[in-house]
Amino acid sequence: MLGLVKGLAITLKNMTKPRVTHRYPDEPLPMPDRFRGIQHFDPEKCIVCNQCARICPTDCITLTGKKNPDPEKKGKVIDTYDINFETCILCDLCTEVCPTEAVVMTNNYELAVYSRDELFKNLEWLHANNTHIRSENSMNLLPGGKKQ
Amino acid sequence: MQVSMVLGPVLLMLVVLLFVTYAILFERKVLGWIQNRPGPNRVGPWGLLQTVADVLKLLIKEDVVPRKADASLFKFAPVIAFVPAFAVLAVIPFTDTLKFSDFAVGLLYYMAISSITIIGIMAGSWASNNKYALLGGMRSAAQMISYEIPLVMSVVGIIMTVGSLNLEEIVRAQKDVWFIFPQFVGFIVFLIASVSELNRTPFDLPEAESELVAGYFVEYSGFRFAFFMLAEYVYVFAMASLTTVLFLGGWNAPFGLTFIPPIIWFAVKFVAIVFFLFWLRGTMPRIRVDQLMQFAWKVLLPLAIFNIFLTALFKELPVIGNWY
Repeated sequence: MLGLVKGLAITLKNMTKPRVTHRYPDEPLPMPDRFRGIQHFDPEKCIVCNQCARICPTDCITLTGKKNPDPEKKGKVIDTYDINFETCILCDLCTEVCPTEAVVMTNNYELAVYSRDELFKNLEWLHANNTHIRSENSMNLLPGGKKQ
Repeated sequence: MQVSMVLGPVLLMLVVLLFVTYAILFERKVLGWIQNRPGPNRVGPWGLLQTVADVLKLLIKEDVVPRKADASLFKFAPVIAFVPAFAVLAVIPFTDTLKFSDFAVGLLYYMAISSITIIGIMAGSWASNNKYALLGGMRSAAQMISYEIPLVMSVVGIIMTVGSLNLEEIVRAQKDVWFIFPQFVGFIVFLIASVSELNRTPFDLPEAESELVAGYFVEYSGFRFAFFMLAEYVYVFAMASLTTVLFLGGWNAPFGLTFIPPIIWFAVKFVAIVFFLFWLRGTMPRIRVDQLMQFAWKVLLPLAIFNIFLTALFKELPVIGNWY
C-alpha cells in the first residue's frame, strides 16, 4: 500500500525537474563534426573526373562537363551537377573519392519537403549549401577566400 | 416556464465542454511534466488550441458504419452513453445558490442514472458486429458493474451520518468537519471505485489497446468516437464534483476563510480532484483483468461494508459520536 504513495511522490517530484527534450524545430540540433549531412559542392574546384558519379552506390549523382571556355587551358569545367536525395544514402563515398574536395559533407540534415521533385538538388542549390561544412574540409578556402 | 430553465442547461453544457477541452489539454500537460517533456505546445500559445484542433480533426473524419452492423443501434449507442453523463450534473450543488435541482434523493439519482452509460457501451459494442468490440464491451460492463457496488456502499456511511440522500444537506452537514476525516475508509474506497467507474488508469481495461484493439469502440470513428470520449470526460467533471460534494465539504470554506466566494472553494477542491486523476494516470500501470475483479470483490467491497459497520458503531459511542 505504501508503494503506491511512494510512486505518486516520485511522479510529483518529477514534475518540477527540468525538461529532457530538445526544442528541435525551433532550435536545430548541432551535429558532431563527422556527421554525414547534405553535400556542399564547389564548381570551381571540380575537374569533371566523374569519380563521384562512378563510386556512388545508388547512382544518385549525375554530372556533365563542357570544354573549358578559356582556349589556353586544358580539361573540362563542370556544367551541371545533380544529386538525387530520393536515393542518396549519405554514405560519404563521393566526398572520400573526390581528388580536389569539390564535393564535401556538411552537418545540414533538413531535407523534409512536400514534393519528391524538390529532393533533386542541382549545382546551384548544392553550392549555396555552404554552412556547417566539416572542419577538416573547411581548411580549404571557400569561394571568396572565406574560412568556414 | 422560465428563461433560466432553458438557458441554465445550455450554459452548463458550454461550461462542461470548455472543461472537457481544457481538461484534455491539462491532462496532456501534466503527463508531459511528469515525463520531463513540455507536452502539447504547437497549436496556439502554450498549446491552448491543441484540443480544439484535435476535435476539428475528429469531426472532419469519415463517419464509418460497418456494413453488417446494427446501424440504428450503432448510431444511437454514443447518445445513450453520453446523455446520462450530462444528466447527472443536474443534482450537483455547486454552491447553495448555484444549482439546478434540490432533489431529496440526489445521490440515488446520480448513482442510478450514471449506470445507464454501461448500456450505451454494451449496445455500441454489440451493434458493431465485431468480436473484439463485443469482448471489450463485456469487459467494460463487468468492470463498471463490479465497481458500482463498492462505490455505492462507500457512501452509505455518509448517508447514515447525515440521514439524507439530498446532496445539499450532505454539504451543509460538513460545515465543521469534512467527511474525508470521519469517513476516511469510505473516501479511499470511493476514490478507487470512482477511478474505475471513469475507466481511467490504472483501471482503463475497456480501452486496453494491447489486447483488445481499443476495446468497445473499435468500429467507431470520427464524431461518434468523439462522443464516447466526451462522455468519459464529462464523467470526470461529474465525479470530481460529486467527490467534492460528498467528502471535501462542497462549497464550505476551511479555517473560516469565508471571504473567498463559495464557488471558488468548490472550484479549488474540484480541480484538486481532477489533478489527482491525471497525476494517478501518470503514475500507475494498467492493472490485470483478474486482479481488477478480485480487487473489487475481495478488497473494496469488504472495506466498504466494514466502513458502514464502523460508522454504525461510532454513531453510538459517546464522544466520537458527535462527528457521526
